[in-house]
Amino acid sequence: MISFNKEQIYIVTGASSGIGEGVALLLNELGATVVGIARNEERLNSMKAKCKYPENMYIEIKDLAEDIDGLPQYVKDLKNKYGKFSGMAYCAGISDIQPLQLLTYPEIDYLFKVNFFAPLFITKGLLDRRNNIGKGTSIVAISSIEAYLNDRGMSKYASSKSALISAYKCMAAEVAQSGIRVNTISPSDIKTPMTMCEAAQSLREHREEKYPMGFGEVSDVANMAIFLLSNSSKWITRQDYIIDCGVM
Amino acid sequence: MKKEEFLLALEDVLQMEDPLTEDQILTELDEWDSLSKMAVMAYYKKNFGIAINLNDLKDIQSVQDLIEIAGDNISD
Repeated sequence: MISFNKEQIYIVTGASSGIGEGVALLLNELGATVVGIARNEERLNSMKAKCKYPENMYIEIKDLAEDIDGLPQYVKDLKNKYGKFSGMAYCAGISDIQPLQLLTYPEIDYLFKVNFFAPLFITKGLLDRRNNIGKGTSIVAISSIEAYLNDRGMSKYASSKSALISAYKCMAAEVAQSGIRVNTISPSDIKTPMTMCEAAQSLREHREEKYPMGFGEVSDVANMAIFLLSNSSKWITRQDYIIDCGVM
Repeated sequence: MKKEEFLLALEDVLQMEDPLTEDQILTELDEWDSLSKMAVMAYYKKNFGIAINLNDLKDIQSVQDLIEIAGDNISD
């Protein structure tokens, strides 16, 4: 049985909804201290209201895309506030289905900030040995099955997620000797507010029929993230895990 | 670049908890590992336009040795 203790402090980004919320709540339930980060204070508070141990759940309101270069310092500030981190689940991300005709540079730039540059630079801060506990530190980021499917309309989203997987594998190689692990998870359609919104659904008609076990649930991904953060996966690093009930 | 500035920058490159001094023997530090060496090489290339090769690196024992390699780029 996987369990944590309150001295183990984890950052969870995107903690106010979807997969990030699921990971934050489960980590907290299993005994870890969680610093949940998101943009929306109200939704962060409603996440916190659902958690099992509110005394071990902290929230931070932050738009991670607004000052990418400042993110390593932001992590250092959080370390000074909460203590050295045992790891992070990077779950913040945005999805945008856009065929080539509609692509514009400012929009792809923004999406890359949220999906790629922010995780890269917040991870840079967390992998600074002054900010983590060293051996046993584990980082996991949520990528997407689109990194493999490369569907129509997905050029910007899929490429941001592919880039994330590559960067994480390089970083994993850089810190493996220190006993620090870095992995990614690539889920397919999971029922979250982001994927179930009307705009996303209109482009995904009959999509659920593809899945022999139906759409995935947040807990399907959160459990994997918890496993990768825990000591149970202590010999697993530099991997990407597809969670798609076997469709791919 | 002033020497003090360089020492602070090197502290960050090596991710040191404690301040670095000029007479610090690098080979005695846990932080002086292969990745840190790669980072120092990249730092010299980017900031000083100096390419440190692997042979040079073998001869580097102390912070003072690093300062010498930088030549005029680091001043008192």
